[in-house]
Amino acid sequence: MAIYLVKRLFAALIIMLLVVFFTFVIFFQLSPDPAASICGQTCTPERIEAIRDQLGLNEPFFTQFFTFLAAIFVGRDYGSGASVVHCNAPCIGYSFQTNQDVLQGIVDRLPVSVTIAVGAAVLWLLSGVAAGVISAVKEGTWWDKGAMMFALAGISLPNYFVALVLQYLLVVQLQWLPFPTVVPFTDSPVQWFQAYLMPWMVLALMYASMYARLTRTNVIDTMGENFMRTARAKGLGRSAVLIRHGLRPSLTPIVTLLGVDFATLLGGALITETVFGLNGVGRYAYDAIAVNDQPVIMGVTLVAAFAVIIANIVVDLLYRVLDPRVRVSTS
Amino acid sequence: MSAHPSRAASDAPVLSVRDLRIEFPLGVVVDGSSFDIARGQTMGLVGESGSGKSMTSLAIMGLLPKEATTTGSARFHGNELLHRSDASMRRTRGDQIAMIFQDPLSSLNPYYTVGFQIAEAYRAHKGGTKAAAMRKAAEAMDRVRIPDAAGRVGHYPHQFSGGMRQRVMIAMALVCEPDLIIADEPTTALDVTVQAQILDLLAEVQEMTQAAMLFITHDLAVVSQISDHVTVMRFGRTVEQGTAEQIFSSPRKDYTRALLAATPRLDDVVDLPEPILTKGGE
Amino acid sequence: MSDIATPLLAAKDLSKEFRTGRRETFTAVEGVSFDVHRRQTLGIVGESGSGKSTTARMIARLIDPTSGSVEFQGEEITQHSGASLRDFRSGVQMVFQDPYSSLNPRHTVEEVVSAPLRYQKRTAAGGCRSMVKAAMERVGLNPDHSTRYPRQFSGGQAQRIGIARALIVEPKLVICDEAVSALDVSVQAQVLELLVDLQRERDISYIFIAHDLAVVRQIAHKVAVMQKGRIVEQGPRDEIFDDPQHEYTKALLASVPSIDPRWDAGRRS
Repeated sequence: MAIYLVKRLFAALIIMLLVVFFTFVIFFQLSPDPAASICGQTCTPERIEAIRDQLGLNEPFFTQFFTFLAAIFVGRDYGSGASVVHCNAPCIGYSFQTNQDVLQGIVDRLPVSVTIAVGAAVLWLLSGVAAGVISAVKEGTWWDKGAMMFALAGISLPNYFVALVLQYLLVVQLQWLPFPTVVPFTDSPVQWFQAYLMPWMVLALMYASMYARLTRTNVIDTMGENFMRTARAKGLGRSAVLIRHGLRPSLTPIVTLLGVDFATLLGGALITETVFGLNGVGRYAYDAIAVNDQPVIMGVTLVAAFAVIIANIVVDLLYRVLDPRVRVSTS
Repeated sequence: MSAHPSRAASDAPVLSVRDLRIEFPLGVVVDGSSFDIARGQTMGLVGESGSGKSMTSLAIMGLLPKEATTTGSARFHGNELLHRSDASMRRTRGDQIAMIFQDPLSSLNPYYTVGFQIAEAYRAHKGGTKAAAMRKAAEAMDRVRIPDAAGRVGHYPHQFSGGMRQRVMIAMALVCEPDLIIADEPTTALDVTVQAQILDLLAEVQEMTQAAMLFITHDLAVVSQISDHVTVMRFGRTVEQGTAEQIFSSPRKDYTRALLAATPRLDDVVDLPEPILTKGGE
Repeated sequence: MSDIATPLLAAKDLSKEFRTGRRETFTAVEGVSFDVHRRQTLGIVGESGSGKSTTARMIARLIDPTSGSVEFQGEEITQHSGASLRDFRSGVQMVFQDPYSSLNPRHTVEEVVSAPLRYQKRTAAGGCRSMVKAAMERVGLNPDHSTRYPRQFSGGQAQRIGIARALIVEPKLVICDEAVSALDVSVQAQVLELLVDLQRERDISYIFIAHDLAVVRQIAHKVAVMQKGRIVEQGPRDEIFDDPQHEYTKALLASVPSIDPRWDAGRRS
């Protein structure tokens, strides 16, 4: 187990390094001059050159890349003399447009993204799995067909569309919810809840649809297993057969999926956060894209990738715990 | 949980099937099957694929898919088994009638220990604490000669060999001391040496418990070793029925004779072409 | 110079190890040697995990042996590749256990049966069809059914398709890996008979792999008994069956269920 973990972490490190490298290449090669974006519209060539110098953009590619890498471990200074800007380790970049350490910017906004991700995950897990199990048990009935049609729609409809329709319905038409304004939980739990409810629902709809379809398939497959017939032949009741013998094998793969989907949301739900005016990591990236704030875009990309890689490891370890065939080797 | 129904007379059959007919939307799979099995006796149900032998056993267990319709009767200690509610059938299944399946690996749930899965069958009918049921499971495993049974109740199915897994399935079938055991191709997926051991074990278990047994197989040789009576089935119909001796020594029907002739034998000497061992020689 | 012909196929000291971990290996086959002459059948029997299928796969060059050699018509073939491997493969064909999963369900019988021809690049566009029809006819299938799909056939017929596919390149050796194990007994007997007829007619050699000793007795001239990757005993059929020397062979034979001899009326005359 320990050896396995070390192996996995080592592999993760390599992947992370590759992600950093390719992200760096993309931003280095493809994007407009960051110095020009920082400088603004009234800008002289000399000023751009000075900024390029301060950011180290005139260095060769590999020098820049290793400076970036080193900054993650030891921090980094931009420029020199009086205008020096220090970025503490772990430094994944500094935004000169917001004058903020990128990592700090992400950490500040992480609680919002975590709140969105946790709430949405709870919602989609409960509704998606429940809908999937019921559909599987009632396979071929109108409930099943209806639920799967709804799920297909849930997967196909774009996020922003669902968000706008939901806002229109719940806020404007039915007036069940006030226009969402974010307040700290401690100020007013009700208002806090109202602000997050719609983002949760929008995200949950898409994921719940996917989980419902997957759960349905898994449960139907499991119902066809020989051990289900054994369970019935033992004289177990319908619910014991389904819950004890049917759900465990069907839901174990769902756990794997949940980990990775949850981690993906930590990297920000770009559209949902933006539509609902929530200042999370996704919104941070969205704003940065609008003004070509490259260090932020890159930073968010890296953190998001990091979250997914870590989640993959956690999920694999969890799988080893949940599935005895992996946990206990043959003796 | 009530005790087993009183046995009217010792010679009354444990299971009595009459004119059993099973129909699916796509066709009839069993057409007029009738047989009796007495206490301590084994009925061998033989046939090739599509003969309806497994469907017969599922009908007795009440485990046929919903779209199947059955007519006729299957009486267990005089009580009708067909068309009973699932809830009432459930009390009989696993308690008084137990079943052993072909592939022990896929017939056991990989996520639970074998002890749990046997204990589960016990508790479903006899109740009691989990610990007591676990002790019963260990006892049952010991009875089917699983070495170190008490130590292995906590093991998972994948940690056992194929033969040991089938012993687990048999232990599960025995744990409630059923009056009827249905074995559906219980040795087909096993290696020959293991098959021989499992056949011995089944015979021994039956000797000990005096349960009636319905033994389903495609293999005439296996059936000849374990059955007192034999029913030969083909395309859902009963071709021939009789004592094992009568079926094997003086089969009356052509199909039975053809099956017997087709069954490969160790002492058969078949004429083969001569190999070419010398240069250019024929 | 002796008068004994070079065997059609000779396996010498074949071994196969699979890596199961960083430093662990699992020896599936160890030091296996045998030979097969023309028009001869070698039966390889053993229980699951005995290494018999791995051996078959090494002979057919589907996997490479870890050590040892295979000579086909006196020529070492374990290092063959490209055109020479293709030549070897036209001489050696395989028939598998499950006819349905080993035949592409989306191909018609004609496409399935002619596939080895296309692989061998021996296709004469027009000639192909007549060869397919001839092969189908020979294995007892209706040649008019060549446009049907494998699933439209019964298990026994599907296995005949597999045999037709193997026959079409006129192989010298056919490796049957549990080729009749999944079939009903009456069908099994017919397929075995077909295999023997084809041998008599075309001087084909077989390596016949099976777990069922009674079946092997009906088709093999000589028998190799495998256990845990090794051949524990091999020899002419009647010696192995009537006078086994190795304990394992004795145990295997004792385990084979047989119809009680007192009752045994259904014998072929």
